[in-house]
Amino acid sequence: MTSRNAAVYTLLTVGAAITLLPFGLGLLTSFTSAQQFNTGSPLSVPHPPTPANYLGLADAGFGRAIAVTALMTAVILVSQLTFSVTAAYAFARLDFPGRDRLFWVYLATLMVPATVTVVPLYLMMAQAGLRNTFWALVLPFMFGSPYAIFLLREYFRSIPADLIRAARMDGASTVDVLVHVVLPAGRSILVTLALITVVSQWNSFMWPLVITSGSSWRVLTVATAGLQSQFDAQWTLVMAATTVAMVPLIVVFSLLGRHIVRSIVVSGIK
Amino acid sequence: MQHRRFRDTVIGYALLAPSLFGVMLFLLLPMLVVGWLSLQHWDLLGPIRFAGLDNWRSVLTDADFGRSLLATAGFVALVVPLQTALGLVAAALLARGLPGTGFFRTLYVLPWICSPLAIAVLWRWILAPTDGAVSTVLGHRIEWLTDPSLALPVVSAVTVWTNVGYVTLFFLAGLLGIPADVQNAARLDGAGDWQRFRHITLPMLRPTLFFVLVTGIVSAAQVFDTVYALTGGGPQGRTDLIAHRIYTEAFGTAAVGRAATMTLILFALLLGVTIIQHLYFRKRVSYDLT
Repeated sequence: MTSRNAAVYTLLTVGAAITLLPFGLGLLTSFTSAQQFNTGSPLSVPHPPTPANYLGLADAGFGRAIAVTALMTAVILVSQLTFSVTAAYAFARLDFPGRDRLFWVYLATLMVPATVTVVPLYLMMAQAGLRNTFWALVLPFMFGSPYAIFLLREYFRSIPADLIRAARMDGASTVDVLVHVVLPAGRSILVTLALITVVSQWNSFMWPLVITSGSSWRVLTVATAGLQSQFDAQWTLVMAATTVAMVPLIVVFSLLGRHIVRSIVVSGIK
Repeated sequence: MQHRRFRDTVIGYALLAPSLFGVMLFLLLPMLVVGWLSLQHWDLLGPIRFAGLDNWRSVLTDADFGRSLLATAGFVALVVPLQTALGLVAAALLARGLPGTGFFRTLYVLPWICSPLAIAVLWRWILAPTDGAVSTVLGHRIEWLTDPSLALPVVSAVTVWTNVGYVTLFFLAGLLGIPADVQNAARLDGAGDWQRFRHITLPMLRPTLFFVLVTGIVSAAQVFDTVYALTGGGPQGRTDLIAHRIYTEAFGTAAVGRAATMTLILFALLLGVTIIQHLYFRKRVSYDLT
């Protein structure tokens, strides 16, 4: 039995090494001076470690790209979550004509893959004169996500009706009920949805790539891709860029890993 | 009561209004627009002109588009079975519940959390022929990304590396959902490891397996970031997957009508896969053991 456990651990460790090694090599290279990288072996340990590559990123406009990405993620996170919560509450807890038919329409939109909307959305934004604006980055994702609404609705339906009725008896309005009864009860699902939104928006690439141009509204992924094609041979600089693009989520991940793991399972099973 | 219903209707629609606006404008309208656009000529800047069925005719007879569909099919055929098999193996190892399992599980998901674009750029360096990590270790150069016979398998491998941890999570959830009683009963009946895997674990994992396969196909068929940063669709279009072809058509050669047409074809193919999924789940075998 122990030898079997040893075999299991060996395989798990091999998997861990294959997972971590590329990240580790990229991180090392990002602290290597360009001179050492070019003259010595590309895989040698940086001596001494230098922040020069990260300073180089600042000159390449990465400071602004980080700010734009963070702002975009924050705006989409807050608005998408707010509007998803209100819609899900209406679907789960209120009774009005057309409710079920509308919910069916929301469900049907889950079948629309993200890639399919890029070209028509581009045309719509162009016609609206919104190309290369901050609004073009956030508008399509601000008004709630059918998927979040679907998950939240399931959750809100499971809150005991007595709890809401009791609050009503005490004179609470719909907004009071939402803020003081429904939201606290749904805290874990909200954390889950928030994480999904942060990860997908921070990493989004295709839409920002097509709808923005130049440096004013360039996000981190687009800046990284641009840097790579501009300085193809300057790998130490490019590895600093990939590190900057990945580190914030890795930090969030190591703090909330358990939540993220659960959120993936929850968000994946439809 | 009448009053209550009226109030619910007003509040209900007020609460729904923002998301309804979003769904109509940014999910449903684009579907109409892309259909209309497939019948137009547009070069991103000039006026939009009616094209009739020109785009459809030219796309359906376009060798580049056919090659792109083939490349996508090849990519899906490499990525999905491989990531599913590796994910199942990893989940089986984790499901033994040894100390430290949570650590490994979390670690394996790491690549999936990170930006696919940044991951692709990282691998572009690792695989770079002269000063990349792999070439340095091997001591000689291999054109991983520019050799026509290597490029697609390599792009597939990077994608599998990114996705395995994600697939593992679903299998792990599925495996932990199998009642221990069933396994124990089979063990008492003298079933060996392989027999139990083949006749109990695998059939009970079937819904998970199907889910992993279908979502795997739908997402692999839309891979863009990885191709964009690793190969740019080359060499000789070998890795020009369909999402990248649509992007190039619309924003590279500015043939937006043709890109819209390709988008509709991709949508039809993905819808087919999704519908098969729903049909399956409607009549799936249930394992009610109570």
